[in-house]
Amino acid sequence: MIEFVFLVVKAVLFLAVGVGMVPFLIYFERKFAGFFQTRVGPTYAGPGGVLQSFGDMAKLLSKEDLTPAWADGPIFRLAPYILFVPPFIAMTLIPFGPMGVDIFGYKVDMVIANFDAGLIMFLALSSIAVYGVVLGGWSSNNRWSLLGSLRSGAQMISYEIAMGLSLVGMIIMAGSLSLVDIVNQQAGNFWDWFWLPQLVGFTIFFVSAIAELNRGPFDLPEAEQELVAGYMTEYTGMRWGMYMMGEYVSMVVVSAIIATLYLGGWRAPLEVLGFIPGFIWLIGKVLAIIFLLMWIRWTVPRYRYNQLMDIGWKVFLPLALVNLVATAVIVSVI
Amino acid sequence: MGLKKIIEKATFVDIIKGLSVTGKYFVSSKVTVEYPKEKLVVRPRYRGMHALLSNPETGEINCDGCQLCATICPSECIDIQTSEGTDGRKQVDYFNLDLGRCVFCGFCEEVCPRAAIIMTPVYELATYDKDDFALTKEKLLANQDNAHKELRGR
Repeated sequence: MIEFVFLVVKAVLFLAVGVGMVPFLIYFERKFAGFFQTRVGPTYAGPGGVLQSFGDMAKLLSKEDLTPAWADGPIFRLAPYILFVPPFIAMTLIPFGPMGVDIFGYKVDMVIANFDAGLIMFLALSSIAVYGVVLGGWSSNNRWSLLGSLRSGAQMISYEIAMGLSLVGMIIMAGSLSLVDIVNQQAGNFWDWFWLPQLVGFTIFFVSAIAELNRGPFDLPEAEQELVAGYMTEYTGMRWGMYMMGEYVSMVVVSAIIATLYLGGWRAPLEVLGFIPGFIWLIGKVLAIIFLLMWIRWTVPRYRYNQLMDIGWKVFLPLALVNLVATAVIVSVI
Repeated sequence: MGLKKIIEKATFVDIIKGLSVTGKYFVSSKVTVEYPKEKLVVRPRYRGMHALLSNPETGEINCDGCQLCATICPSECIDIQTSEGTDGRKQVDYFNLDLGRCVFCGFCEEVCPRAAIIMTPVYELATYDKDDFALTKEKLLANQDNAHKELRGR
């Protein structure tokens, strides 16, 4: 019984942190977009414009929820949820502290689901999210939406294989698919984490994660200049808002996964700093990765369709295979 | 692709260069002027809303009613009516300027032999009422307070 209570508390806290971060992430995205262009970004709502996202959300909620007459109704209405829900499920896999912590005399694991095949689960969930984009674009029955979802599908095929393969080297080193074990394998200082021995895999995974998130420079499915808003063109009000929010929730989750797999998860960068609780390190790492993602988005221009496929098939896939073979040889020799 | 190019791509040289450029802008001071809160000071020769100058000592209007400005105006927005005054000189009864038609070319200011009509740096001319665009003699005289200090009191 007490375990169930702790589970609910952890789930609620995770949900609150994950969702609560989103309005501020959107605010920071806009603020930083301004800073990178020597503008000041939103300044009016609240001190320094912090309340801008809440104003936008109120606006979105008050807007008409329109389903075009030519759209495929049920799928059109379902698609945002397909994109919105998987990141929340993936959140449960992320460990945010050591196992068996003593809280009020009870042993509590600082993870919601200590799942043996956690990494496979994450890959599966992130693939499901693409269906939200593809189905949303297809059911809108609009040429821009269709082109956007078509691009999304082609993009997924090109990066997902390299993304999965880049992880295998890391899995060999950790000897486990469970995210809890992977973090435990990275005990020590920051040079003991997997990003250094797995630099190639880390780079491939990071770039693929940007494509996974549909963010610049791989935001082909929603390329504003060419496709209006891509797969979101026909969406209005809070359904559009769900796409937008889902994007930022998955940004939090993917950043947390990157931090967990390659940057030591909740572990402190130096062992002497271990007295600071794990979730603070995790949130710090997540925010740092998100800042890097924003920096890249507002710097690098969008890749062309065929360039992304070239990167995926001709560069990352062979590199990931070489990385896999090299890691396997080194691990079996040592 | 040469070896040098491959190494450059593998180490993300181009992207890191780009990131350093945007990183510099990130910390540099911002160029935004938050308009209603802070306003730019316009140049002294800026051509904004017109004004009619009057003699600061006697308060008499400088305009003689010679119609040169009304004649040269390309958009024909100036309308002047004159009559014979008590002292036998021409007096301006009526000086109307339709801002809705004005193109702010500044010809009226240049052609005026008495420098009576001038252009001021007033640029916030948006209004909800079209009648506000019809500038009467009184409005134009009142606007001379906004004129550049070197034009005033001449």
